[in-house]
Amino acid sequence: MSAPKIIVVGGGLAGLMATIRVAEANVPVDLFSIVPVKRSHSVCAQGGINAAKNLKGEGDSTFKHFDDTIYGGDFLANQPLVKSMCEAAPSIIDLLDRMGVMFNRTPEGLLDFRRFGGTLYHRTAFAGATTGQQLLYALDEQVRRHESEGRVKKYEGWTFLSAVLDDGGVCRGICAMDLKTMEIKTFPCDAAIFCTGGIGSIFGRSTNSVVCTGSAQSALFQQGAYYANGEFIQVHPTAIPGEDKNRLMSESARGEGGRVWVPKTPQDPRPPRTIPENERFYFLEEWYPKYGNLVPRDVATRAIHKIVYEMKMGLAGDPAVYLDVTHIPRETLERKLEGILEIYQKFVGVDPHVEPMKVFPAMHYTMGGLWVDNENQATNLPGVFAAGECEYQYHGANRLGANSLVSCIFGGGIAGPAAVRYAKGLESRYENTSAAVYERERVRQQDISDTLLNAHTGTENPMTIWRELGDVMTENVTVIRYNANLQKTLVKLDELSDRFTRVNVQDRTQWSNQSLNFVRELGNMLVLAKVITMGALARNETRGAHYKPEFPNRDDANWLKTTIARYNGGDIQLAYEAVDISQLPLRERKYTAAK
Amino acid sequence: MADKTFIVKIKRQQRPDEAVRWEEFELRWRPHMNVIICLRDIAERPFTREGKESSAVSYEANCLEEVCGACAMVINGKPRQACTALVDDLEKPIRLEPLTKFPLIRDLQVDRSKMFDDLKRTKCWIPIDGTYDIGPGPRMAPEKQEEAYPLSRCITCGNCLEICPKVNADDQFVGAAIVSQVRLFNMHPTGAMHSAARLDALMGPGGIEDCDNAQNCVKICPKGIPLTESLASVNGQVLRHAIKSFFTAPKTIGSAAPEG
Amino acid sequence: MAVAASNSRTSYILDKLQSLSGIVPIGAFLAEHIWSNSYALVSPAKYNDVSSELQQVPWRIFVETAVLWLPLLFHSLYGFYIWWKGKSNITAHPWMSNWMYTLQRWTGLIAFVFIAWHLYTQRYEGHGVTSYADVQQFLTNPWNLTFYIIGLLAASFHLGNGVWNFACKWGIAVSVRSQRAFGLLGAAVGVSFALAGIAIVIGLHYGAFPLGGYVTGGGQ
Repeated sequence: MSAPKIIVVGGGLAGLMATIRVAEANVPVDLFSIVPVKRSHSVCAQGGINAAKNLKGEGDSTFKHFDDTIYGGDFLANQPLVKSMCEAAPSIIDLLDRMGVMFNRTPEGLLDFRRFGGTLYHRTAFAGATTGQQLLYALDEQVRRHESEGRVKKYEGWTFLSAVLDDGGVCRGICAMDLKTMEIKTFPCDAAIFCTGGIGSIFGRSTNSVVCTGSAQSALFQQGAYYANGEFIQVHPTAIPGEDKNRLMSESARGEGGRVWVPKTPQDPRPPRTIPENERFYFLEEWYPKYGNLVPRDVATRAIHKIVYEMKMGLAGDPAVYLDVTHIPRETLERKLEGILEIYQKFVGVDPHVEPMKVFPAMHYTMGGLWVDNENQATNLPGVFAAGECEYQYHGANRLGANSLVSCIFGGGIAGPAAVRYAKGLESRYENTSAAVYERERVRQQDISDTLLNAHTGTENPMTIWRELGDVMTENVTVIRYNANLQKTLVKLDELSDRFTRVNVQDRTQWSNQSLNFVRELGNMLVLAKVITMGALARNETRGAHYKPEFPNRDDANWLKTTIARYNGGDIQLAYEAVDISQLPLRERKYTAAK
Repeated sequence: MADKTFIVKIKRQQRPDEAVRWEEFELRWRPHMNVIICLRDIAERPFTREGKESSAVSYEANCLEEVCGACAMVINGKPRQACTALVDDLEKPIRLEPLTKFPLIRDLQVDRSKMFDDLKRTKCWIPIDGTYDIGPGPRMAPEKQEEAYPLSRCITCGNCLEICPKVNADDQFVGAAIVSQVRLFNMHPTGAMHSAARLDALMGPGGIEDCDNAQNCVKICPKGIPLTESLASVNGQVLRHAIKSFFTAPKTIGSAAPEG
Repeated sequence: MAVAASNSRTSYILDKLQSLSGIVPIGAFLAEHIWSNSYALVSPAKYNDVSSELQQVPWRIFVETAVLWLPLLFHSLYGFYIWWKGKSNITAHPWMSNWMYTLQRWTGLIAFVFIAWHLYTQRYEGHGVTSYADVQQFLTNPWNLTFYIIGLLAASFHLGNGVWNFACKWGIAVSVRSQRAFGLLGAAVGVSFALAGIAIVIGLHYGAFPLGGYVTGGGQ
């Protein structure tokens, strides 16, 4: 038989790593991405990448990294793969180092490490404060090299619409749309790896990029793929609020010594610099003396919420708190944090070297995602694999800072070879799949586009529906969740879905029609929003990022299980699966003291 | 109280082969607006100032925090990223035009694949043996990392090409961004082993010789990359390489015909 | 689209030669030319001596061709080609270095026209033999004088800025600091060449010998 054919959808860290691994196996791979891969959302990752290399004489180990990750994720993650990931992390850093990532160095010329949230060790390698960008570029360069040697073909400016499933439900290719010509085409393959990232757009404003809509995951879900732990949404404690997006202010600011505080006098009108030390309330340090400003994100986020909304101690005029790096020597800031301080300066117009930054929590990451198995990053659809933020495997109920980059590269690194193995083991390759299977899917997708373009009677503006979706999701399905509000959210989502049937794509052209593409994504976002909200409503406990004041404790007896959403002809059903806790004993998660 | 408003003028073109038209939109002012928010406002209410129904403006954008490089356009005559172009800092009416040095797709959207092709042609990567676990990378002095890191922050936005008098239809200069990447990879201990191939690729039409030192690039770079230093450094490298490969025999690396 | 990477290095070599020829021999010759003509500010006799010395160089026509005419012609014509390939955007982006880029092209053109005329009148019409009296008479004409001054300013600017360009284009000045230093050096070259040149033609115009004083005793 001829060589199998692999398709990778998504060109962020996970997708590029998967692509490299497939190309390395000398199997041809087509790489699809909405944006040129070098512009993928991974560039936004700032602080660093975790690996327990123990170069600071602290007695760190990969086991401690594993333990921190599971503990930080409130024991919801399946443990075996997380353990493997933590064990592989040091070699992943070595690999990136060999690829030329400009990691910060010690005087001896070795990699430097900083501290991050949820750990007491210096475990995070970093390249200034733009680590994600540096990592993505390194992988992008390797893929470009494989591309120039003919093993990779890129389809940049194409968006994934659906998988091509044969009558047995086996993936035989994908259906995609060229965002320039709007042409819809099918591409055959033996296995497809999805690395389609985050879903921030469902929450309107988040720290995510524009392309992070979750549209691809949702499309697969609607084709029968399981979606796991959707309700676990990470809200990052420190972001710069903005009308177009909330810009991340990396945890590394605290890792390098940044402190979070509010004036002890609520609504203190004085400029922050003039408020004396003893009149400042360093609430994280006071409430969590052991971890201080470096508690995990869900803990810090809830603390800030408490300060602002319950204790009414937010800053005068702003629902925000101070993130202060002004006491750190300028030289250190320039060497280690310049990238993020520059963002603050550019978007707020205030120099964070001299003035504390005003920050507030913002939706940041989804721990949930496509369900994958405990071995191969394989979804329940034969031939469909997933890696990176779009799958659920590594972070449990809350992700630790600087673990996402490592999980992307690790997951992508598994998915590539696994897809090749799967494809080589197929009894019948895509060549034997009837052309009718492809044509059927293409026509189905073409019809969706045609219907939208011809719906002249539509009255609903897609941007308005999207804004309302974001507002209701942010209000009710992020930091604090009440069942009554979640129920209201489901009603609102039904209303939006109904209005969506009357959506008006003002632009009816067949050339770079961004409105059409956005509307198609919006339809998928509405479905995923429902999955997230239903999962949150059902889970009556508090675990990691999922916080219900009505059920303030973790409930292992009833809820130590993975939520699995399935789609059945328009209906979403929830089922549950046991968590693999074979490696570490359950413990109560608390950060007020060392664990 | 009547809302404060301002005008945005946009150069629009439905397709590359269709006529250019300027449209004016009147938008409601809010604090901390940037050009992206303006374009989203227009998408939500696509009516021109005269009340004529129009359509959402096509443009590229992704991260909105100036690390992805997508949203470059010409704003009030200067090429820059739309996300960091704050409305309060801009002269009104705000004029938005697409970059002119790249093939237009639609409205403010252009095709910058030339830059990615040139990165390929100049072999801007570290040729590692494989992704297997074969130990750590080369050691590097912190000073060297600090020199290289700013170069590695290039977001391939293309503003330095847009502003360069030597990038145009008659002169396909690769531009400062690409030259600076060559410098970056030649700086890396492993990358340096393969510098000859990159330098070869920068010899000839479109290569480093086309830089004529107008030094506009360094002034427009949103990431503050020392592009003029990169250009001068690579100029010296190419020259030394040319002299060396002329006088020494046999030629070892890079057949000078890297065809991608 | 498609760019570069022809395996011919011809254009690279031509470009480097264009850049080099501006410094050596053309820049060097300009230095020598201003130096020897400075004797016009000493005395007519000294000037005539130096001139006739130069006019009696053996193999003169070949030396002139190899060291002057060909480099000049090449530097100019290839320079025009480079100019044509660039598209100045000085009106949109009036930064100092962008002005330098644009002025470098225009001063090159002015210097080229001036040199052509200068050669025609001084070298061709005079059959390669000129004396102090010839030149002085020529420069009594105010139009000739004006054009000389313009030509000298253009050539001096072009050379001064060329020194800076050369340092960057040959990778001699890599750091911003060294580029600034070469910029100052270029400015010094430009200003001193311009001042010396203008002093010479004005001296000739008025028949003045301001540098004559301290050589009266020594003479030949």
